[in-house]
Amino acid sequence: MPKQSRRTALIFLALIPMIAMGTGCRGKKRPPAVTTDTRPTTPARPSATPPAWPDVPVDAGPDVQPMSEDATRAEDFSVNDASGEGGPLADVYFDYDQARLSDQARGILEKHALWMQNHRSAKIAIEGHCDERGTTDYNLALGEQRARAARDYLVSLGVAGDRITTVSYGKERPLDAASNEAAWAKNRRAHFLVSRQ
Amino acid sequence: MERIDSRSAPSSVPARRALAAAAVIAVMTGAAVARAQAPGDPTIIIQGLSNERLAVPACVPRAADDASRSACRTITDVLRRDLRFEGLFRFVEPSLMEALPSMDPANPNLADWRSVAATILVTTRAQVTGGEAAVDLKVVHVESGQTMASKRYTGRADNPRMFAHQASDEVTSLTQNRGVARTRIAFTSDRDATKEKRGKELYIVDYDGFNPRRVTVNRSLNILPAWSPDGRSLAYVSYRQGVPDVYRASIFEGKSANLTGGAGQSFAPTFSPDGKRIAYASSRSGNMEIWIANADGGGARKITSSPAADTAPSWSPTGAEIAFTSDRTGSPQIYVMDSEGLNVRRLTNVGNWNDAAAWNPSKEYAEIAYTARLEAGGFDIAVIDIATRQVRQVTAGRGSCEYPSWAPSGRHLVFSCKRGQTWQITVANRDGSAIETLGAGPGNNVQPDWGP
Repeated sequence: MPKQSRRTALIFLALIPMIAMGTGCRGKKRPPAVTTDTRPTTPARPSATPPAWPDVPVDAGPDVQPMSEDATRAEDFSVNDASGEGGPLADVYFDYDQARLSDQARGILEKHALWMQNHRSAKIAIEGHCDERGTTDYNLALGEQRARAARDYLVSLGVAGDRITTVSYGKERPLDAASNEAAWAKNRRAHFLVSRQ
Repeated sequence: MERIDSRSAPSSVPARRALAAAAVIAVMTGAAVARAQAPGDPTIIIQGLSNERLAVPACVPRAADDASRSACRTITDVLRRDLRFEGLFRFVEPSLMEALPSMDPANPNLADWRSVAATILVTTRAQVTGGEAAVDLKVVHVESGQTMASKRYTGRADNPRMFAHQASDEVTSLTQNRGVARTRIAFTSDRDATKEKRGKELYIVDYDGFNPRRVTVNRSLNILPAWSPDGRSLAYVSYRQGVPDVYRASIFEGKSANLTGGAGQSFAPTFSPDGKRIAYASSRSGNMEIWIANADGGGARKITSSPAADTAPSWSPTGAEIAFTSDRTGSPQIYVMDSEGLNVRRLTNVGNWNDAAAWNPSKEYAEIAYTARLEAGGFDIAVIDIATRQVRQVTAGRGSCEYPSWAPSGRHLVFSCKRGQTWQITVANRDGSAIETLGAGPGNNVQPDWGP
């Protein structure tokens, strides 16, 4: 599954420029300069000059050569706000006092693995966070286990381990500082920060 | 050194009264006292709570100017509070003292002080000249009239509290105990965080919550401060280079050094009692284990090996053993091992969540404070006797409390409690009495470490 999807992705990427070129040729009107336009030149131009244009159509082959594809792909690394929330990879949530990945969390991480394969220059830092219940030191260890669980699953899906770093924040940096079940559920998470190289 | 206050001495027999001469006390209590009697030392040793009643009359200004009078008012208040905090003495009520005729501190009328049942008289005088203050302390044994201590402290006048703290420690030292009045507490606070910069920084306050100073200024996450035994450095964890690393800040030089260099994630640093080593928790082997390194970070080696998370180390007073937290049995519990990582045994058995061990630094008390969930929900501070495994609860019904640290004397604890919406630094006697919130300033104030 991982290998196959990677191959599919590569084929798809390779096809993009060809498709782009093909449609570009078909859709584009030939510039008037290369048609057999023999109208008189405008009065401002020196009238004595003989027309420089040949009378016959030029080579019927493509009139624009393909450009190499570098630096033209746009990958979205933007983060919506200064707090680092709102990146392209959604948070993964955990049960209270657990670092085990739920089925839902695995589903999200599988999408993240695909995204990582489509953004091959991306590196990510996985932050492990906890809710405020529980002690400081224990939560720092639990956050480390949560980040590591997310990392290990991505690696098992074929993402290279050296593209992923992990950082535990324990209960030191909650997303929602309130003391209620809704806030706690939001804070028990692995959060993904994306960077290039 | 053996202590001879009321709790360690057997009972109060007349021969053990404070007025006993050094020779007599040496016979009664053996070598420990004889050692304490260096030439020139006072020959009287204060016996402590059950025997002594201290009179601490108001400081007398040696000049009538406002600065001297103001300094004296501060010294009176702070000295009384400091001595009361030690928990070693009873006191003559101020109202009784005010009824006495005015006193010449240099030559007090001892009959007056006997009449209010004072056994020890602690007088202070102060004078401020320019920016300099001079404060005289005199401690007199009321019954014999003998002077137990006579000191003059001089220094800058801008913090008169420091003179009172020094005087308090002098009086406490007469009981063969170490005073805490000049100690400081380091902690973590979000008080300077903004919405954009949600950093936490390290701060230091005097033991009574006054005189706050900010240590770190990088607006990253700086947490888990731990004092070096010489009081000149703090080990702590900072995320300033992305991953949590252990740093060492030289607080007087304003410098800091990264001791772990991004090798895994590192947490919970703590200096050995001799200051030569640092223990911390690190994930650099792939799993959270206890590591020990030299105080400069070199020579790091792993001393635990468990698939569970091992965290929060705390050294025994001799440095021969380390207590730590492990969830190897499914719930976090306190374990003890020797400092090479051998001979691991579980200490706590009550409750399903025990964390953040703090070994009492006084060799007199073989006990460990920790954070315990004794009832469903909140956390409390508890202390376990290492020999008997008996647990005593220090906090109850104060909201959630965690992260205990001992005063260097081993007679007081500091921890953090959430009351209402914020976490605040809280202090208590080691038996859980006299709990009070320290006015350490705004914000959430957590992870206190009581320094020298």
